[in-house]
Amino acid sequence: MKKSIFAAGLLAATAAAMPAQADKLDDIISSGTLRCAVVLDFPPMGSRDASNNPIGFDVDYCNDLAAALGVKAEIVETTFPERIPALMSGQVDVAVASTSDTLERAKTVGFTIPYYAFENAVVANEKADMADWEGMKGKTVGATAGTYEAIWLEERVKEWGEGQFRPYQNQADVFLALSQGQLDATVSTVEVAEANVASGNFPGIKIVDKAPMVPDYVALITLREEYGLINYMNLFINQQVRTGRYAELYKKWVGEGEPANLTIQGVYR
Amino acid sequence: MFDTALTANDLMFLAKGAGMTLIVTAISVVFGTILGIIFGVIRYQVGPWWAAPLTFVLDIFRSIPLLIQLVLANAFVTMVLGIRISGFAVACGVLSLYTAAYCAEIVRGGIEAVPQTLRRAARSLGMTWGQDMRNIVLPLATRVALPSWIGLALGVMKDSALVYIVQVVELLKSTQILITRLQEPLFLLLICGLFYFLISFPVARFGGYLEKRWSND
Repeated sequence: MKKSIFAAGLLAATAAAMPAQADKLDDIISSGTLRCAVVLDFPPMGSRDASNNPIGFDVDYCNDLAAALGVKAEIVETTFPERIPALMSGQVDVAVASTSDTLERAKTVGFTIPYYAFENAVVANEKADMADWEGMKGKTVGATAGTYEAIWLEERVKEWGEGQFRPYQNQADVFLALSQGQLDATVSTVEVAEANVASGNFPGIKIVDKAPMVPDYVALITLREEYGLINYMNLFINQQVRTGRYAELYKKWVGEGEPANLTIQGVYR
Repeated sequence: MFDTALTANDLMFLAKGAGMTLIVTAISVVFGTILGIIFGVIRYQVGPWWAAPLTFVLDIFRSIPLLIQLVLANAFVTMVLGIRISGFAVACGVLSLYTAAYCAEIVRGGIEAVPQTLRRAARSLGMTWGQDMRNIVLPLATRVALPSWIGLALGVMKDSALVYIVQVVELLKSTQILITRLQEPLFLLLICGLFYFLISFPVARFGGYLEKRWSND
């Protein structure tokens, strides 16, 4: 008798202490919508078509993820500096926004495995005298504030002890400044550099050299504690590569050739 | 200057943005004014001491930048309350309270501008408080408050540009989207300014017309 009362009490206490916790993965599926933060001034990863609808690699990637979850995708436009605040303030569920997986950011948000990798190019104003990447020494350089390229460039400027580094709000501003001669050079991904030179929107710029940087591995991000969703997205990225969808999207948005290898020699994950 | 990549399609996109600005402004001004009248009358009626908590809350809405209010309200609703509502609803809610905070001051000022002697005269003729408010205070206070109220409405229309932060694509945000795509900032901002003028000007003129008409009777 006593034992059964004790057991019932224990059961009740357990039930009270652990209400059925729905995590973000459940929330997304039950709400029927996946809200992705995507940066839309970053072609070919994200931009807008002639009727101002979002297009690009990241947009397609978000649509694929939503399709895998069986929900509708909602593209939420953010700038680079706004992505993490948008995530933290609950405006979006995940960011499919070419986010570099830095350890500093990993203290705030949860990263998946890399879903894409960027190599970097040095782009210069034609009037600036520059033969290779070391020609940037002593020049005025700039990049989008908070990005991987900006962090690398600022470090080089500090190391050289001459020249100047200028941060900008978005990628378009950087190339506008470069085209107008306010900047001598910038570092951007090969994809962005090629697209901007080809677009003709920024006259007087040229690609000089590859920047000697480790490829910029970018990952999907969500809230740090959402392990269920992170696990799901890791498997999703694996499936994208396995099924050839990754190569297909690369061909559609970036160009011919092999997409960057997403594994690193000699280490797990 | 006129060699532009802007298409009719893009102009429609801007017009849609202008429509969104109008809708957000209309909802906020209507609800803000109703709330503002209620708060303003309460503040006047109960005296400064009892109205202190209300005054404090309204002061918060008046002194914290709208942009921060929007972000915090959105975070509060989605993260703390766990409700998934659209950015549009958050924008209208915050902007309404913001309008109400300013409107309450305008209403209080309007009521205070009605001479006490006139109101005592009304009451001594046997009018109830309600009759006094409706027949004496309302017509006189409205005349005093109208210019500031028009100014507030136009101000809210321009402040509504900040709701882009909760993912509402209004006029300024649509312009920025086009600037990113077409790289013609000055031309596009000129058109955007023109749109704002087109929707603000009739409101300002209508206010001026009412003022003139009422000052003659």
